[in-house]
Amino acid sequence: MIVAKQKPIEEIIETLKGYNKILILGCNECVTVCEAGGKKEVAVLASALRMYFMNQGQEVKIEEATLERQCDHEYLEEIRKTVDQYDAVLSLACGVGVQFLAEKYMHTPILPGVDTCFMGVTEERGVWSERCQGCGQCILAWTAGICPVSRCAKRLLNGPCGGSSKGKCEINKEVPCAWQIIIDRLNELGRMEDYERLIPIKDWSTERAGGPRKVVREDVRS
Amino acid sequence: MTLQDRIRSGKFVVLGEFEPPKGADFSAYLKNANLSRGRVHAVVVPEMANAVLKASSLGGCAYLQREGMEPVFQLCCRDRNRLALQADILSAAALGIRNVMAVPGEDVRFGDHPQARAVNDLDLMGLLETLQKLQTGKDLAGIELRGVPRFCVGSTLDTGASGGLLNIELEHLKRKIDLGVEFVVTNPIFDLRRFEQFVRRLDAKQTAVFPTVLLLKSAGMARYIDRNIKGISIPSEMIRDIQKAPDKPQECIRIAANIVARLKDMGMPGVLISTVGWEDKLSQILDQANI
Repeated sequence: MIVAKQKPIEEIIETLKGYNKILILGCNECVTVCEAGGKKEVAVLASALRMYFMNQGQEVKIEEATLERQCDHEYLEEIRKTVDQYDAVLSLACGVGVQFLAEKYMHTPILPGVDTCFMGVTEERGVWSERCQGCGQCILAWTAGICPVSRCAKRLLNGPCGGSSKGKCEINKEVPCAWQIIIDRLNELGRMEDYERLIPIKDWSTERAGGPRKVVREDVRS
Repeated sequence: MTLQDRIRSGKFVVLGEFEPPKGADFSAYLKNANLSRGRVHAVVVPEMANAVLKASSLGGCAYLQREGMEPVFQLCCRDRNRLALQADILSAAALGIRNVMAVPGEDVRFGDHPQARAVNDLDLMGLLETLQKLQTGKDLAGIELRGVPRFCVGSTLDTGASGGLLNIELEHLKRKIDLGVEFVVTNPIFDLRRFEQFVRRLDAKQTAVFPTVLLLKSAGMARYIDRNIKGISIPSEMIRDIQKAPDKPQECIRIAANIVARLKDMGMPGVLISTVGWEDKLSQILDQANI
């Protein structure tokens, strides 16, 4: 999933300055799972903002809604009839949702309520960590299913840097060394010969080097 | 007289442009640069133009500096993060290089290594801010430097922008000047009427604007540029003149010299002459332009 975290409320208030009727729009997908922008977070933020504006003596109307997704036309269409009533929409979806809204509703300012962080997993409730950077050319088949692009601080493709200690990365003792995990797992799988394989110099054109990316599937295109 | 002194004195500036080779043999590079000795006031050394791998601008500058020529070190944000950029800026200063030019740098996809990962840690304004900061004696982290670098700082200006984009370009120029830019080099100019209209929108006192005069090599090259390079238009009569001329290289030199002379007459503070491979013809251009 895409992991996000809510922006500090001071920053949100700063971006809402001058707007009197605001819709806080949550998303039922990833940001609900990482507890940053689902229905519950929309309600909590709306209450906090109402209290803030009331204390300031400002009449600001805050309304709430949560869509199934903000990265699909069909769900974004649900607010078409009502969006013009608002001075601004504060989206708690990831940056993808914020932008898709902005592209669709040209006349309404769309503001972000979360900072989008990475593609990752829920290690336990309240702990999310990165697993994928969407480099566009997956090498997990040769690295025991563990990604050195997203999990090695130096993105090394051919073994550890020598800076790790007791299985932890030199940048932070809390961060496991990706190559330690890869080698342990290759051993476990009896596939250490994969480690001998030299991974060629990476072609980053499928990452961001080629500019904004797009996937087109003619077979499913409508 | 240094480039900076010359700009400040208002004397007409002639910049040459010599791109370092793709390879470790600099002998032809030096030979070409030497052909312009005494005729150009400084040499702009491009940093992998069009994202095509060449020896670095810093390397080229170090060579020219050693040979007693005044180089302009080009920097772009495509290939280096803020650490590497600052490190090279400090090294340039230590080598005695007095001029730097911050350029946007074409995307890697246009070059010969499209698989490369572009860096773009800083943007152009960030790079200019970095240059400004280093010249106050501190790095971007605020840590004091031993020895403060001093530069005459330049950048680029796109005169081909039109409509709203032109306003943005002029706004960017203001920002660049606020960030310490003393000169800007434009895209190649062929259509002087259009350039004159552009210049009217500039506040000439703000900064020195050096139009680029690109030496054409054939009618085909001219036609290609006119059709395919955004923001550059070449008058059709110019293309026709090259086509009809019995001695085409001479006609190309005549056209370039004519543009240089007319730009000088317009009151431009200088020009950059780009000869791309025909470095031996630079002197003839200047002779014919009476410079």
